[in-house]
Amino acid sequence: MVKGFSYRRLALACALSFQIAAALAQSAEDEEYLALAYGDKTTISIATGSPQSLRRAPAVASVITAEDIAAMGAKDLDEVLESVAGIHVSRASVRYAPMYVIRGIGGGGQTNPQALLLQNGIPMTTLFNGDKGAAWVGVPLENIARIEIIRGPGSALYGADAYAGVINLITKTAADTPGTEFGVRIGSFGSKNGWLQYGGKLGAVDAAAYLRVGSTDGIKEIVSADAQTRNDRLFGTHASLAPGSVNTGYDAIDGGLNLSYDQWRLRASYKQRDQLQTGAGINAALDPASQGKAETVNADLSWSDPQLTQNWSVGVTGSFLQYVLTYPTNVMLLPPGTRLPSGSFPDGMIGGPNQWERQYRLSAYAAYAGFAGHNLRIGLGHDDLELYDAKTYKNYLFNAAGAPVPAGPVADYSAIQPHIRPQLRKVDYLYVQDEWSLARDWAFTAGVRHDNYSDFGGTTNPRLALVWDAAFDLTAKLLLGRAFRAPSFNEQYGINPVGNGNPNLRPESIKTLEAALSWKTSRDSQVNLSVFHFDMQDIIRLVGTSYANTGAQRGNGMEIEALWDISRSVRFSGNYAYQKSIDRATGRDAGYAPHHHLFARGDWRFAGNWLASTQLNWVADRKRAAGDLRPDVPDYATVDLTLRTVNGKNQWNFAANVRNLFNADVREPSLAPGLAIPNDLPMAPRALYLQAILRL
Amino acid sequence: MKKIRPYIRLCAVLPLGFSLSCVTPALATIADSTLKIAPIFREAEAEESRSLARVLARIENGGDVQVYRLQLAASESVVTLLARHDNVKVALSGEPGHIAVLYPDLGDPYRGIFTTIIEGIEAQTGSRVASYAVGGDMTAQDIVANLKRQEIKVVIALGRQGMKAASSLEREFGVVVGGVMSAPEGGGRNFPVVSLAPDPGMLFERLKHFMPGARRVIVVYDPRQNAWLIRLARDAARHYGLELQAVEATDLKSAVRVYQEVLASADPKKDALWLAQDSTTVEETSVLPLVLESAWNRNLAVFSSSVAHVKRGALFSLYPNNVALGRQLATSALNYSASSAATSSVVPLKEALLAVNVRTASHLGLQLSSRQQGFDLVFPAP
Repeated sequence: MVKGFSYRRLALACALSFQIAAALAQSAEDEEYLALAYGDKTTISIATGSPQSLRRAPAVASVITAEDIAAMGAKDLDEVLESVAGIHVSRASVRYAPMYVIRGIGGGGQTNPQALLLQNGIPMTTLFNGDKGAAWVGVPLENIARIEIIRGPGSALYGADAYAGVINLITKTAADTPGTEFGVRIGSFGSKNGWLQYGGKLGAVDAAAYLRVGSTDGIKEIVSADAQTRNDRLFGTHASLAPGSVNTGYDAIDGGLNLSYDQWRLRASYKQRDQLQTGAGINAALDPASQGKAETVNADLSWSDPQLTQNWSVGVTGSFLQYVLTYPTNVMLLPPGTRLPSGSFPDGMIGGPNQWERQYRLSAYAAYAGFAGHNLRIGLGHDDLELYDAKTYKNYLFNAAGAPVPAGPVADYSAIQPHIRPQLRKVDYLYVQDEWSLARDWAFTAGVRHDNYSDFGGTTNPRLALVWDAAFDLTAKLLLGRAFRAPSFNEQYGINPVGNGNPNLRPESIKTLEAALSWKTSRDSQVNLSVFHFDMQDIIRLVGTSYANTGAQRGNGMEIEALWDISRSVRFSGNYAYQKSIDRATGRDAGYAPHHHLFARGDWRFAGNWLASTQLNWVADRKRAAGDLRPDVPDYATVDLTLRTVNGKNQWNFAANVRNLFNADVREPSLAPGLAIPNDLPMAPRALYLQAILRL
Repeated sequence: MKKIRPYIRLCAVLPLGFSLSCVTPALATIADSTLKIAPIFREAEAEESRSLARVLARIENGGDVQVYRLQLAASESVVTLLARHDNVKVALSGEPGHIAVLYPDLGDPYRGIFTTIIEGIEAQTGSRVASYAVGGDMTAQDIVANLKRQEIKVVIALGRQGMKAASSLEREFGVVVGGVMSAPEGGGRNFPVVSLAPDPGMLFERLKHFMPGARRVIVVYDPRQNAWLIRLARDAARHYGLELQAVEATDLKSAVRVYQEVLASADPKKDALWLAQDSTTVEETSVLPLVLESAWNRNLAVFSSSVAHVKRGALFSLYPNNVALGRQLATSALNYSASSAATSSVVPLKEALLAVNVRTASHLGLQLSSRQQGFDLVFPAP
C-alpha cells in the first residue's frame, strides 16, 4: 500500500515536473495571453498600479515609468533626467548639487530655481534658494512609480517656478509594490545602499512603505585651482588646498509612507543627507573637512471624489513641508593661512549659515463637465511659506565696505550680522481652465492662474493650447504660455555684502511658444517632434553687489524623440535636442547649456530572464557666457552598460551597471568668468555598481 | 492534524426561488436573484472557527451577496439532503485554509497581475492562502507535497502554466481556473474557468452608452477560439437591441477579406466593429493597424476586448479588475463541489474596468465630457 502510493506519487511528480519544465517555455505564451487582456508592459504597469493622474493641460511631456528606470539601470533621479529630451543635468560647484538645465535654461548659477520639482504634485521648493534644496541629492528611485516631465511653462496650473519645466515624481502605492522587497547595492566611490519596501493591506487601508539607508564617499576628481589659488597669487600666500580632490560624499536616509483608504490618501516622506560634503567648496575653495546636514520632512493629506455628482468632481489637499539645512561643524569658506587685504585668517575664514523652513499649503479644485463639449476646472489655494529661523556662525564680520574682517573665534552673529532674518511669505491663488472640443478633431484649452504674493504682489499667467488630431497616427499641438519664477528669500532678503537681497524684486517671467507633432510611424515605432521659442524677462541677476531684475534672454530649439520596438526582445529609444539661447543685453550666447544633446538607448532581453541595456549620452557645443574668455567647454560622450535578471517573485534579481564605460573626461562648466574655479568641474570617471534584490 | 468534519463546513448557495422548508422556514422566503449563501454550522462553531467568521463578515459586507447564518445541529443526513437538491451547491471544502493558488512565475509587470489577483482571493477568504509559483524555485514534487501536507482541497490555477500544472494534479484536488482566455483544450480534466475575455453583454452595454444609435455589432472570430463567447454574445446583443453579425474565419486571409467588406459597407452611424481576443482574426502586426486606421478614416467605432487596442486607437475596452477577479475566483473555490468539476464551464470576465481612448472618441464626435469621470484608464496619456 505504502509502496504503491509512493510509486504513484513519484509518477505524478515526474509528470508534473515535465509539465513544469515545459511551463518555463510557456512563460512567453502566458505573457502573450496576458498582454491581450491587459495590454503591453507599460499599460500593465498603469492598469495594475496606482490610478493615473487626470488629463491636464496639453503640454510637451515625457513619462518615465518604473519599468524604464529599471531598464536603464538608473540609480538616482539625475541619471533618469539626463535621458529626457531637452534636459541636461549639470552640477554646481557648491556641494556638486545637480542642476536641471531644461531647454538651455538653468545654468550659470549655484541654484536651480527655474525647474519646479514636485513630489506627488506638491512643490518640494525650499525658500532660501528657491530650488529643491540640499536634501535632493542622490534621490533614489526604488520608491518611484512614475516621473512625469513637462517641458515648457506650467505656471497656469502649477504656479511659481514652473518656468523652464516641471518634474513630478509619483511615489509607489501599495498596488505598485505588492509584497516585500529587500535590496542592496554597492559600487564605486564607496557607495553602499540598502532598502526595504512593502506594499499591502493594513486592515482596510492600502499601505506602502519605503526605507533606504545609504552612503557614498563620492567622486574624488581633482580640481587644479580654486578661488584661494587666485587669492594666494594676489596676496602672496600658499593657503589653497588646490590642486586637490572635490568632496562629494554623504550619508543618506530616505523614507516614504503612502496610505489610502476610500477617497482619502495620506503620504509622508523623509529625506536626510548627513555628512554632506561641500563639493568644490561653499565659497569655491576646496574644503575637505566640513559637512552639512539637510533634512526634508513632508506630508500631505488629500481627499478627492472623482464623481461627486455626474458632472462634478472635487478634491482638497493639505500639505506640510519642513526643510532644515545646518552645518554642525561650520564650513571653511577660505582655508587656514588665508590673508586678505582686510585681515588674516590663520585658522581659515569660517562660516555657518543655518536655516529652518516650514511650509503649509492648502488647495482645492472642482471640475465640471456639464456643458457640452467643455471640461471646466477651477482651483484655489493658500500657501504659508516661512523661513522661521536662521543662525549665522562665523569668525569674521563685514566692514562698511563689505570686506570680511577677522573677528576672533567662531561665534553666533545671528543677532548682529546674520545671513538672513526670518521671513514669511503668504500666497493666495486662483486658477481656471477650460478644455473645449471646438470641432471634430480640434480641442482648444485655455487656462489662467493668478497668484498674489504677500511680498512682491500679483502675477497672472495664462496658457493656451490648440490640439489637432490631424490623422489616425498624427497629432499636432500649438502651445502658448507664460510662466514666472518667484524671487528666492536669499535674492530678496539675503544679507551678504557681495550678494545683497533686494526686497523690491519682481518675479522673472518667460513667454513660450511651442509646436509639437506626435507621429505613430508604425505599430512599433513613434516619433515626437517639438520646436520652441521663448523670451525671458526681468531675469534676476547680481548687479554689482545686489540682486536686480535686469536680464533678458531669448531662445529657440527643438527636440526629437524616437521609440522603436524592433522585436519582442529588442527596443531602441533615443532623443536629440538642440537649443540656442541668446542673452539680449550682450547679444551673446547665454552659455553653460549644450547646444546639442543626444541620448540613445538599446534594451535587449535574452535567454528568458536576462536584460542587457546600453546607452550613449553625447553632450556638445557648450559656449561660454558673455565676459568669459575661456575656450568652449569640451564635448563628451559617455556609454553605460546594464545587465540584469528579470526573475519573478520569491527569487533574487541581480544587476550590474557600468557607467562611463570608456572613462570619458566629463566636465561641467564652472561659473563665468572662471576666476573662482578656472577649470571646469570634473565629473565621475568609470564606475561599477552591483545590485541584488529579493522580492517576497 | 484535526480531521475536518464536512458537515460543519457547509456553504449552500441558494439561487432563485429555492425553498427549503424542511430545513428552515426562513429560507423559503428567498425569492430574488441576489446571490444567497447560507452557511450551516453547529452552535458555537463561529467562535471556534475565527476564519469562518471573518469570511462571513466579508461576504456580508460585499454588498451583492446576502448571507443567512443557520445554526443547527447539522448532521450528515442534512448535508446529503441538501446536496440532492439541484439548486443547491454544497461546498465540501469551503474552508479558506484549504485553498491554494498556483500561478506562473513571470517577471514584472506581469507578476503584479497575479499578486493583485491573490490579494483579491485573500480578501474574499479573509485569510492568507498558500500560493506557489509554477516554474519558480519550488519543484513540482515540493508543490504537491505542500498541497497534501496543508490538506488543500481546492487549487485556484492562474494562467496557462498554472492551469497546466493543475491539470496533472490528482482528482482529489478541486481546480478552479482564472487568468486564461478559454477552457483547456480537450483531453485533460475539465475545470470551471473564469476567462480573461470581458463579458460581451458588458461591452455592448458600454457601446450603447457611448453610441446610443448603435444597431449592429460586427465581429470576425475563429470558432475554435471563441465559439463559446459568440454564443453568449448573441444573447447579450438581443438584450441590448443590437444585431450581432458574427462572421467565422479560420484563417487570416478570410478574416482580412471580411474586414475589407465590413469597412467598405458599414454605416458609421449604426454599426460598430468588435475586436475579440482572437489570435486568428485579430492579427496585431499588419491587420490591426489597417483596420484601426481605415475605421478612423471612415469614422467607424471600433471597440475591443483588449485594452492594448485602446492604446492603439480603438474606442474602448474592458480589462480585468484583478482584485475583484480574485474575489470571484475565491467564491468559486469556496463553493467548489465535485459536481462543479464534472462539467467544464467557462464564464466571461465580469469584474472589469473601463479603458477609453478620448482622442478616438473626440474624432467620432462622441461627447464624453460628462461621462469621462468614470473611466478607469484614459488614452492617450497626457
